[in-house]
Amino acid sequence: MALPVSLRNSVTPPELELIASEQLVEIVPLIAMERTAFISGAYGPLRPPTKAKIPIWMAMNLKFKKKCHIVPPDWLNVEFLQERLIQETSRPEFSQLPFRFAEVAKLLLDVAQDDIQNPDKIRSLLKDIREARQAKSREGLQKIDHSELSLPNLCSMEINEIRPFFVRAMGVLTHITRDAATEARGFDGL
Amino acid sequence: MAGPSFVPRAHDIYPDDVPMAAPNFFDVPADESPLQQLIRHWMNERHSPDILPGQEDVLGGLLDHIRRQSNTVHLLRSDPDSSEEEHFRIMLAQTEIERVKFVVRSYIRTRLYKIEKYARYIANTPEVQERLSQAELNHAQTFANLTEDHFNISVLQALPEHQRGLDDQTPFTPPMIPEPDKSRAVFVHALDDCPPVRLPDGTTLRIQKGQIVLTPYAVVEQLLGIGSVELV
Repeated sequence: MALPVSLRNSVTPPELELIASEQLVEIVPLIAMERTAFISGAYGPLRPPTKAKIPIWMAMNLKFKKKCHIVPPDWLNVEFLQERLIQETSRPEFSQLPFRFAEVAKLLLDVAQDDIQNPDKIRSLLKDIREARQAKSREGLQKIDHSELSLPNLCSMEINEIRPFFVRAMGVLTHITRDAATEARGFDGL
Repeated sequence: MAGPSFVPRAHDIYPDDVPMAAPNFFDVPADESPLQQLIRHWMNERHSPDILPGQEDVLGGLLDHIRRQSNTVHLLRSDPDSSEEEHFRIMLAQTEIERVKFVVRSYIRTRLYKIEKYARYIANTPEVQERLSQAELNHAQTFANLTEDHFNISVLQALPEHQRGLDDQTPFTPPMIPEPDKSRAVFVHALDDCPPVRLPDGTTLRIQKGQIVLTPYAVVEQLLGIGSVELV
């Protein structure tokens, strides 16, 4: 078939990573390159050691070849994440994080570990944040009904994770409500 | 050298100093690049139960761009004494071409899947036909006819006359012509403040810019059409 079964109802994490890696990241280039037109825009010029902004996929590519250092985004450090973790565990709502933080963090931690301070600590903080937020998502399920559920500050990867279950849950509720409504109309008619 | 090169185009899509002021992590750049547009439509198409209007202009523009970029890469590669810097540019340009091709393919495949699944529904519904490109429409019609012929030849012609129909409406059974289930829930992210929409329980909902909501597709169908929301 045109689309494999696994892709019909959801998107996969690698696809989300592909989308996230269109975002820009700051790098310190180790090679020079003139300003170049790419399909997504023009980037450069790269002149070591002046910082430049390029898409994450490009930065990863250069990083693999040891041609740049990646400057982690403002939020990818121990202090920021520690503070978010405290918020996450002390307050009922989801704390504000970049929409694609999980994807970006994974990509950067995978290729640019040496450019990030304390990567292990960051990994464990991200894991704790993820767990705290997962618990909240599960609690959010109690509030689901057949018409609407607002999910402030939920992030792309988390949405993808809860999608199958939440969509089905809402589908079942829609069915129940619809059946109840038809039944009620049926009784009225009697 | 006047030969082929990656000359930056008319204006930059990203200014050098992207404002970093308020931590509004959702801010969509005012002018989305064609690739970002396609990515948005690709995700919408993947999440929406219905077939959305085809984005022929965006797609055509990007395909042209891919072709131009491939030609440039090809010409540069054939130059034997290109510098190391040039090698990196070629490598990056090629990587990007492959990335864009992936998105294009996945977008088209998603549409193809829905078109084949709902071929007979499309053939009977002029309103949906408007959302398809000519090529897609031809495919839907041919596909619908082919399956119909196949059913007739392999089984139906051997059945009694009154059981041969392919569009019988029997109560309590699913319809014989599958239709998109618009009551399926989708995750919606508002790109703008949206006009109020009616929810299935009769109340109205006003989605504000940046909000994320889980709601049946039918509720936000119109908002998606005008581009105020995207599916995530």
